[in-house]
Amino acid sequence: MNAPAVELHGITKRFPGVVANQDVALTVRAGTIHAIVGENGAGKSTLMKILYGLITPDEGTIAIDGQTVDLGSPSDAIGLGVGMVHQHFKLADNLTVWENVVLGAEPTRNGMLDTEQARARIRAIGERHGLGVDTDALVENLGVGDRQRVEILKVLFRGVRTLILDEPTAVLVPQEVTELFSSLQEMKAEGISIVFISHKLDEVLAIADDITVLRRGRTVASVDPNEVTSRKLAELMVGTDLGHLEPQDREITGRAVAELVNLSVDGEDGRAAVRDVSLTVHAGEIVGIAGVEGNGQTELVEAVIGVREARAGGIVRLDGVDVSRLNTRKRREAGIAYIPEDRTRHGSLGSAPLWENRMLGHQTKAPNARGPLIDRAGARADTERIVHDFDVRTPSVDVNMSSLSGGNQQKLIVGREMSGKPPFLIASHPTRGVDIGAQNAIWTELRAARDEGLGVLLLSADLDELVGLSDRILVMYRGAIVAEMKSIDATPQSLGAAMTGANGEAA
Amino acid sequence: MMHILRKATGTFAAPVLALAFSLLITSIILLASGHQPLQAIGQMVDYAAQPNTFVLMLNQTAIYYIVAIAVAVGFRMNLFNIGVEGQYRMGAMAGAVVGGAIDIPAPWHVLAIVATSMVVGAIWAGIAVLLKVFRGVSEIISTIMLNYIAIGVVAYFLQPGRLAEVIQGSNNIGTPPIGESGQVPGIPFPGTNGTIFGLAIVAVVLGVGYWFAVNRTVFGFELRATGASEPAAVVSGVNVRRMAIIVMVISGAIAGFSGLPQLLGASYTYSLDFPSGVAFTAIAIAILGRNHPVGIAFSAFLFAFLTSASQVLELNDVPKEVANITQGVIVLSVVIAYELARRRELVRERKSVSQRLEGSAASTPVGAQS
Repeated sequence: MNAPAVELHGITKRFPGVVANQDVALTVRAGTIHAIVGENGAGKSTLMKILYGLITPDEGTIAIDGQTVDLGSPSDAIGLGVGMVHQHFKLADNLTVWENVVLGAEPTRNGMLDTEQARARIRAIGERHGLGVDTDALVENLGVGDRQRVEILKVLFRGVRTLILDEPTAVLVPQEVTELFSSLQEMKAEGISIVFISHKLDEVLAIADDITVLRRGRTVASVDPNEVTSRKLAELMVGTDLGHLEPQDREITGRAVAELVNLSVDGEDGRAAVRDVSLTVHAGEIVGIAGVEGNGQTELVEAVIGVREARAGGIVRLDGVDVSRLNTRKRREAGIAYIPEDRTRHGSLGSAPLWENRMLGHQTKAPNARGPLIDRAGARADTERIVHDFDVRTPSVDVNMSSLSGGNQQKLIVGREMSGKPPFLIASHPTRGVDIGAQNAIWTELRAARDEGLGVLLLSADLDELVGLSDRILVMYRGAIVAEMKSIDATPQSLGAAMTGANGEAA
Repeated sequence: MMHILRKATGTFAAPVLALAFSLLITSIILLASGHQPLQAIGQMVDYAAQPNTFVLMLNQTAIYYIVAIAVAVGFRMNLFNIGVEGQYRMGAMAGAVVGGAIDIPAPWHVLAIVATSMVVGAIWAGIAVLLKVFRGVSEIISTIMLNYIAIGVVAYFLQPGRLAEVIQGSNNIGTPPIGESGQVPGIPFPGTNGTIFGLAIVAVVLGVGYWFAVNRTVFGFELRATGASEPAAVVSGVNVRRMAIIVMVISGAIAGFSGLPQLLGASYTYSLDFPSGVAFTAIAIAILGRNHPVGIAFSAFLFAFLTSASQVLELNDVPKEVANITQGVIVLSVVIAYELARRRELVRERKSVSQRLEGSAASTPVGAQS
């Protein structure tokens, strides 16, 4: 029996005001894949930064391959055979694959860069671990999956025996996930230990040999993936029973609040991103749009809210009124509410206080404005209301948006968009990147608003969310709607087939 | 209350530290070149306190302030009007030409000159913003280049036989003088014959108007939102192109006006020795004042002090360029100081938010996310 690849004991790390890790224990057996799961803010990233030498713990011991060590910096960690692939890649776009891999650890011969040796070693590593990638390709021309392989090659090139992967699947499409997992299996067969951080519980169950669950900075369980279900894992993460989202069979009788007729939209590259889409959302109905990202969903939403021009001929009607010729402000004033997909880029101003964020997108209307003037008192009072009703955890409405956690930011945005009872809401990935507590709260709010007559167009990459919330699901593939089903009839198989175009574009 | 107080000290700490640092650098340079720093500063303060110099300084402050507001309006939405110098010169000369050519009753004469200068400044800035909005040309580049074109245009017309004439009894060349109905009387100041420019009042009105428009109107909110995040502003229904055009035209109009306190209060002609370079300095003043109406007032006064009072150094054999060094170091160090203060404030607020949330049982550790 070999010594464990990594053994952490009693790790505690305090940041001013918070304890990020408290008495955390972690044992990674040599040559296994060890998953670490937990909500946003559970302390996973802090723990990994400690293991990689980016952060020094206040208390506790770190042992690598049975030896107790002090890690002062990432180079100490790499020297001891621990490497990390970050969620956001750190590659030089204008260099080739092999140049990126050797950068900082260049093999030399007589003081000169030994390019042949570099290429040969990279190819050998790639073949051994199923990480095939053209060593002479420019990184800027690579897709996300290939970039990730380059990051992993970079770490392996430095002779690492323990590999930390921070949410490696977050950026990958399903097929790339499969490829990554087979590479991980091959690395494991070579005796490399892998620490794998993820939100996606099904993936964790599929790949991991051991699972450690963190909650609020503490280790709450170490479990065997063969003995738990994803539901049980989720419960361990949240600490309470999960209100599982069951699709409901409801009769839709409301009026049409939003109608899109023959809408076609060009994408960034000038080619049609949305092709001839027609759909109707009724009052009291949630219509879900399923599809692999990049099949025209973003462009469709942008055309409806009016920030991207639709081709001539397409019509957007709100409550029976044609709004196709109106600009974004007029459409919002007419009653289109919008939860953008990218909270920090499109949905908020990080450096502005909460009450100014309450105004954003609604800055011309009561309670935020009186004529051309801002109504500061009105906006602040209404922000207090949202903070209370939507359980936004904040000490006051005067703190900057960026000082709140992602889940609390999103709750404020959801509350803002539901203010004033608009007839129609576009919710684009409304729970992306928020913790499970906030997710449940947002789901509850969306259902409550729907029951009061709100019509919702819901886009989500989370199929559980899509099926559980929607009444009807439309599947987009290459810009067109290729399938429609009631959500109670939807199965992962039927959705998956439609999303990959298996039942033909003409459907 | 404590919160506001802490915020205020945070706001002032950065510029004060930057000023202290630049005085230190200046002192080292003075010492290295064999002069007494404390003595030089003392001479400058004494000189500035004399009523004659003080009035000059106030006038200088007013002009700096007006141009700096023109710059700050653009800065608030990340629109960089570096062309204020060109707009200042074009506006002042056009005003002088029109003012010298017409002779109508008092208020109308002045108003005609003001309107001319503002329209010309606005047009000059408008060229840059139209290039930006419809052709994607960076306004930083185009406004800088338009400065040189403006200098060339002014030099071309400022010749005898074109729009100017030789001023009698001198080698100077200037536009025909503006008659008395087009002049704005100065405000007397005790202890000196010098007067404060009548149009200096406009600086005060402008500052209040700027504060109100930016902080209290929907337009100002949209301006700030665009500056903070253009994508978020677009999604919120702000027409960013339209906003850029409006703001640049306003900025150009103010810059076009900024030469008039001098023109209608003292010079009455646009001549070869009309003050130049003023608007360039104002860009630095807007940065130092953090685009805030009160901050800009302080920084305009400081720069006016350094410019006016440094004249005395010459008399004491200290090169007056020392004042330029001080100004330069202030701007460089204040940019760094603001960035450091901003980061510290961010960390401090995150910390304080998570601290204040502690105790509420359901809170999750805020700092643990990455």
